[in-house]
Amino acid sequence: MEAHEHSNPSSPHGETIHLPAPTAWPIVLAFGVTLVFAGVVTSGVISILGGVLAISGCIGWFRQVLPHEAHEDVPVEAQEVTIASTRTHVTQIEISEEHRAHLPVETYPVLSGIKGGIAGGIAMIFPALLYGILSHHSIWYPVNLLGGAGVANWTNPTTADIAAFHPQALIIATVIHIATSVLVGLLYGAMLPMLPRHPIVLGGLIAPLLWTGLLHSSLGIVNPVLDERISWGWFVVSQVAFGIVAGLVVMRQGKIRTGQSMPFVLRMGIEASGIHSEGEDRH
Amino acid sequence: MADSTYPLPGSLETTPKRWSQAAVLEWLNSWVITVDHKKLGILYMLYSIFFLLVGGAEAIALRIQLFHPNLHIISPEVFNRLFTMHGTTMVFLVGMTYIFGFANYLIPLMIGARDMAFPRLNALSFWLTFFGGILLYYSFIGGGGLYGAGNAPDTMWWAYAPLTERAFSPGHAPDYWALSLIVTGFGTIGASVNVIATALCMRCKGMTLMRLPLLVWLNVVTSGLALITITPLTAAQVMLLIDRYFGGHFFDTQAGGSAVVWAHFFWIFGHPEVYVLVLPAFAIANEVIPVFSRKAIFGYPAMVSASVAIAFVSLGVWAHHMFTIGMSSAGNAFFVLSTELVGIPTGIKIFNWLATMWGGKIRFATPMLFCTAFVVQFLLAGLTGIMLSVAPWNWQLHSSYFVIAHFHYVLVGAIVFCIFGGIYYWYPKVTGRMLSEKLGKWHFWLFVSGFHVTFDTMHIPGLMGMPRSIYTYEANRGWGTLNMIVSIGGIIQAIAVLIFAVNLIWSYFKGKVAGNDPWDAWTLEWAIPSPPPVYNFATDPVVTSRRPLWDIKHPEDPDWKYE
Repeated sequence: MEAHEHSNPSSPHGETIHLPAPTAWPIVLAFGVTLVFAGVVTSGVISILGGVLAISGCIGWFRQVLPHEAHEDVPVEAQEVTIASTRTHVTQIEISEEHRAHLPVETYPVLSGIKGGIAGGIAMIFPALLYGILSHHSIWYPVNLLGGAGVANWTNPTTADIAAFHPQALIIATVIHIATSVLVGLLYGAMLPMLPRHPIVLGGLIAPLLWTGLLHSSLGIVNPVLDERISWGWFVVSQVAFGIVAGLVVMRQGKIRTGQSMPFVLRMGIEASGIHSEGEDRH
Repeated sequence: MADSTYPLPGSLETTPKRWSQAAVLEWLNSWVITVDHKKLGILYMLYSIFFLLVGGAEAIALRIQLFHPNLHIISPEVFNRLFTMHGTTMVFLVGMTYIFGFANYLIPLMIGARDMAFPRLNALSFWLTFFGGILLYYSFIGGGGLYGAGNAPDTMWWAYAPLTERAFSPGHAPDYWALSLIVTGFGTIGASVNVIATALCMRCKGMTLMRLPLLVWLNVVTSGLALITITPLTAAQVMLLIDRYFGGHFFDTQAGGSAVVWAHFFWIFGHPEVYVLVLPAFAIANEVIPVFSRKAIFGYPAMVSASVAIAFVSLGVWAHHMFTIGMSSAGNAFFVLSTELVGIPTGIKIFNWLATMWGGKIRFATPMLFCTAFVVQFLLAGLTGIMLSVAPWNWQLHSSYFVIAHFHYVLVGAIVFCIFGGIYYWYPKVTGRMLSEKLGKWHFWLFVSGFHVTFDTMHIPGLMGMPRSIYTYEANRGWGTLNMIVSIGGIIQAIAVLIFAVNLIWSYFKGKVAGNDPWDAWTLEWAIPSPPPVYNFATDPVVTSRRPLWDIKHPEDPDWKYE
């Protein structure tokens, strides 16, 4: 394989280059300044000596550069330098069309995620209550599990305690449930432009399973009491109910066109005559 | 030297190569009076490496003391002095000087200039740094002498008030700390001004700002950050000296002063300082990773923007060092969020390094090994940094060994690894000889092993509650085995660094001749002989892209077509 070679342009052999002349004054000044400070912890005489050196350094320095900067002429020595590579074959990274990122020219609006979150939050109440009735004959059991952290006087509640009605727990559980549903919906909506296809599969099956797996592995550390009492089967059912309803609501919102579908000049907000063709679809 | 004698086996050399005294003095004089950026860059680097060995030796002494519970190998007073000097040395005498070592040597070569903008200021800056370091270490023999470690500073590298006030620190220990760092700070200011002026004003024809090598860009950002942050530190040190010598009460809590003010002043310097140290490490990785991946850096504009963003954001995060001092909820929230914001530009950088490597023909020569390890370790350091940025987590772990492990992951895992990578990469340019790859591989694998044995393990005693800076500990705390492992890792790292030192010396005399471009690289410094002539470029270069040597080597596919 032929190597491409290049040599430096003709070096001005025999010529000289002006460079700043070496000088000792910077080191004298630096030493003087250091001694000025060192005198604080040693002796005033050291500071005085440092001051003398520093002033000498400044004067010497000024004389180096005023009225004309001192320089030395360095002769240029011609040295042949070869700039070449043995790697002469340049390969471009090929990206097949299969691997091209899907451009989200249309997507669901972020707001649809919030609406889906609210609807999903309502939907998941029903399997949760059903679980409470079937397992502990009380609709308050799942409510207290969620909101029990807000009941300050609870230390080691019995099952009967958890199955009873506690207004504080209801308030806390409601706040947690609303906040979480809206935030998860918002997150869902924010993720939709990245994963615009199959929102029901994403929100109804994949996300609940991932979320449940994450909680299952960490709840024992975060809240051991809740971990002991939670029923993971029912938990998955309520999460799936949330996800499917949220996904259906999102689907019903319909898609909107994203900025990716617009020409660059429009995305940049440039308004000028002649940039739009007659037939161009303006959004 | 021409020599006609024939060396017989077992006989003595009859014409030994000996420098005359005059020649040695002349040689030494040439280094003392030099204003050449290359010589000053080498002096900075030698200074940095020397103090790396000194600071490393101090760390080993600390680790030996903590090797086992209830050891009393050194006294508590000496222990305090050693860890203060270790921190101060590594940050101010190693970290701050390696920056200007690389910057001085490389920036003029990379931008096609003959020297720095202010050559004499350059010399002054180095010598101020040099004498500042000497003054700091003179403290070991000032006062009580070596056995009691003299007046060496013993108030940790951040010198919190009111411990530094005269009532609690009689003698001169805090004075040496403040005075020597004021002197080195002057040096830093001079060097920073020089770097910025050189990069902006000395570029060769065609070297636009968006064609600057990333190393140059990042050093400009670093220097700007250093200029901003050295100022509050110097101001605080002057205020401390006023307290100690003129009866001031800035930090005297018993006379209306505020210790918290010191903490603010120090960390307004101290946290951006981390970025001052790590950005030049990024700069090295930005040059090494593309060359050894055989690809142009991915996302050049994003890399520049991310560097500027890191510098900007880093100026607003200092109080995350002060969560345990106590702040309002709004203050806590602000500094949690601003600290986590740093994760965005640093994340961009990590993705861009990975994207540069992706699809490339990677060569794992020693510089690339160090830079690859750096990417992984810096990511992990960033993750523990995000953990510590969360105020409640920080309340639990502040001043524990978890914090020590985190910042050593940054300072060693990122910065020292990149320093080593950079030295392996540019040593051939500086000396004309290659460092031994065999010794380099030994150095790398021992160092990376020792690093992980030490600092991965160190997180655990931190989580178990072991406080930082303690002299010794009781056996029943359960920290003994972990500390033993940490210390063993430190010794492995020390062995690796000794191999590196041997490599530096051996290769200088016996290393393979490098030629001008041993790595088949693309920036201008590789277009001139190794070592470069004193004037750098015989003719002024002209560049047309970010990779001028690529354009010359591949005229059929030059970069300027795509930029």
